[in-house]
Amino acid sequence: MSQSAPLVRIIVAQPRHRLGSPGPLGGTARVLEHLGREMDIAIVHDAETCLARAAGAPTDLVVLDAGLEAEGDRILEALRASGPPVVVVTDRPEDERIHAAFRNGAADCVAAGQDYARVLPIVALEQIRRWRETVERGQVEQRLRDLERLGDAIVEAIPAPIAVLSAEGRVVSANPEFARAFGVSLDAVAGKPLEHLVPEELYESGVLRLLIASAARAGGGNGVDRGTVGRTRRFDVRVRRLGEGGGLLVVLWDVTERDQLAKRLADLTRYNENVIQNLNSALIVVDRAGAITFANQAAEGVFAAEPGTLRGQLLWDWFPGTSPEKLLVARTLTEGVRHRNAETVITRRDGSLLPIGVSCAPLTDAAGERIGAVAIFEDLSELKELQRAVLQNEKMASIGQLAAGVAHEINNPMGFIHANLCQMTEYLTDVRRVWDEVVRLQESIAGGSLGEIRRQSLGLSQLVRQLDVEYLVGDFAKALRESQEGSERIRHIVQDLRSFSRHDPGERTLADLNECLDSTASIAWAMMKHSVVLRKEYRDVPRVRCYPMQLKQVFMNLLVNAYQAIQERFAQSGEIGEIRLQTAERHGGVTVTVTDNGIGIRPEHVNRIFDPFFTTKEVGIGTGLGLSTSFSIVQRHGGTLKVESKPGEGSSFELFLPLAAGDETGPADGGTSAAGGAGRA
Amino acid sequence: MSVEPRRATVLVVDDEVRILSAVQRSLRREGYEILIAETPAEALGILAEREVDLIVSDQKMPGMSGLEFLARAIRMRPQAARLLITGWTEEVPREEMEALGIRTLLPKPWDDGALKQAVREALGR
Repeated sequence: MSQSAPLVRIIVAQPRHRLGSPGPLGGTARVLEHLGREMDIAIVHDAETCLARAAGAPTDLVVLDAGLEAEGDRILEALRASGPPVVVVTDRPEDERIHAAFRNGAADCVAAGQDYARVLPIVALEQIRRWRETVERGQVEQRLRDLERLGDAIVEAIPAPIAVLSAEGRVVSANPEFARAFGVSLDAVAGKPLEHLVPEELYESGVLRLLIASAARAGGGNGVDRGTVGRTRRFDVRVRRLGEGGGLLVVLWDVTERDQLAKRLADLTRYNENVIQNLNSALIVVDRAGAITFANQAAEGVFAAEPGTLRGQLLWDWFPGTSPEKLLVARTLTEGVRHRNAETVITRRDGSLLPIGVSCAPLTDAAGERIGAVAIFEDLSELKELQRAVLQNEKMASIGQLAAGVAHEINNPMGFIHANLCQMTEYLTDVRRVWDEVVRLQESIAGGSLGEIRRQSLGLSQLVRQLDVEYLVGDFAKALRESQEGSERIRHIVQDLRSFSRHDPGERTLADLNECLDSTASIAWAMMKHSVVLRKEYRDVPRVRCYPMQLKQVFMNLLVNAYQAIQERFAQSGEIGEIRLQTAERHGGVTVTVTDNGIGIRPEHVNRIFDPFFTTKEVGIGTGLGLSTSFSIVQRHGGTLKVESKPGEGSSFELFLPLAAGDETGPADGGTSAAGGAGRA
Repeated sequence: MSVEPRRATVLVVDDEVRILSAVQRSLRREGYEILIAETPAEALGILAEREVDLIVSDQKMPGMSGLEFLARAIRMRPQAARLLITGWTEEVPREEMEALGIRTLLPKPWDDGALKQAVREALGR
């Protein structure tokens, strides 16, 4: 529409007979041919064709021959309101019809005289220029109207209260959201000060007043002033000066919800941080390289680090004495392995050992790529201490069980050693008496008479005979030998007991289960040797990384149980029971089986025997902790403890320990450093 | 001691041969005839053949306890005095002991003088 096409389109409407007629009107089209560089001149003979053409394409001018009479009137009438200008040409200027044509909207009239060919182009050009001006103005006005409507629509639709203020600060207009937000009627806003329309609290801080005042002063620039006002409802305010008129556009953006969300987010973040910081467990986050990106306070405690110094450090650097595998996080980073409450012992920078429980999981980004790991370290030293105490108590309880047998074992040698000592004292007295006689005889030989010597010698011989010195000396040696052997037996028993009641070192050590089982059996043997035959079927088994003292405790519990089961079955009859001890390598581990032919376990008890405090024994005989302690010890080693039993025929407890019992602390043969203390077991 | 018409016979029963040896040693000069047995069964064999004045028995022995052995011995030699030695005195049921007419319970280890005294008293000397 807006293109100023060089093309000039003119419709010449004239009666058919005018073509080729001698008068000037016959040459109308020709006269117009040179008005522009490009001309489109159409000659039509009736109103219908003329109007159709005018509607079909933008037309600059219609030259109407008055000779068309009624058809010409129709053309004028149709184009009067909004059509292109119509210039009437006539050879009868006095005709009444010309006046009518002006009344009907004709733009001009040219009479066909001598200067027709000169005048018509001038008139036509003038009309075309005016028409084009009109058309263009109409287009601009239309665009302005469109823009205005768009602006109104935006202001109406925008979900923010908007008001236009006069230079004096009174509301000129406002949008529906303004009415809705502040509960006022749109009809009632005009002319009122903004202050009276919005909640008082928006003016409380004074910011809004300042913003409006400063925008009003800012001489027509594009400056936008903004701020936030309100208490229960918060608004972002923007005030903009609208051109030179001095009016102000005030846009209020409700940010109550946004602020609440931001506050909740901040609260939540603070809350999480509080929770994480105050966790008893040490929580750290590491990146792919093992550098710490987050650590809470407990982590600083476990790591023995100064507050705030962990971030950015490599995790491994904090435990120079601990291999990365043992920290467990390494495999989480490389292979994505998860750990739950895995137990390990770490060496801290100051060299102290710390038993810890580790749970870790890989940290992934949105694309599922591993970007690090989250790890929780739990200080298990207290727990370990408790476990150790319970174990120790349990051990003491089973030592109580053993006491009778052991006392017998010790009291027998003690009995004869003691008796022998008394006897040897008596022997020594006898020997001294003989010695005294010998001394006297020597004195006689040195200075006495022959008779005295003879008498002394006789006395000595009598005494030697009377005391049976020959026997005495022989028996003295025998008593001494027997006593020595007795004390050796006591020494062994005490040694066994001591080795049984000892603590484990903090770390697992490589131990021979045959040896553990056998030394435990030799202590238990003291208790049971009168009523049990012990059959040992040991196979060569690989050494297992374990807590040997704890396993000895398990073996002892199993042996005591087996013995008691046998006692229950055979005590009356005095029959001898049998306990079979077997070891074997199986399924990547070692099995230890303790089988008895005792009373057996009632089916309803089988599922409960590993429960803490479950006991079928009389008070004082069983603590009810033996098997449950055993069970948890075996679990701690990653093994299993199973029982099979036939009531009245016996029970068999099978203990299985995986060779990689320390799996959660890395491969069994990996941490060679941990094997260092094996010799102590 | 020299004018004793018949030497008293003491049977000592213990599964620990060193104990037997020590008891013999203690009583050697008391002038008794001392018989020893390492098992209750062996002791019962001796009792079947010999008159015995005193039986000194250990309590804890394989197969049969001292009290069980003495209960059987009493039927064979009711007039023989009985004396029990044990390393675990709490273990011995008192009623049973008294029912068998055992008045003295010697602990292990025993006092040499106390043993001699107990034996003398049991033999009524």
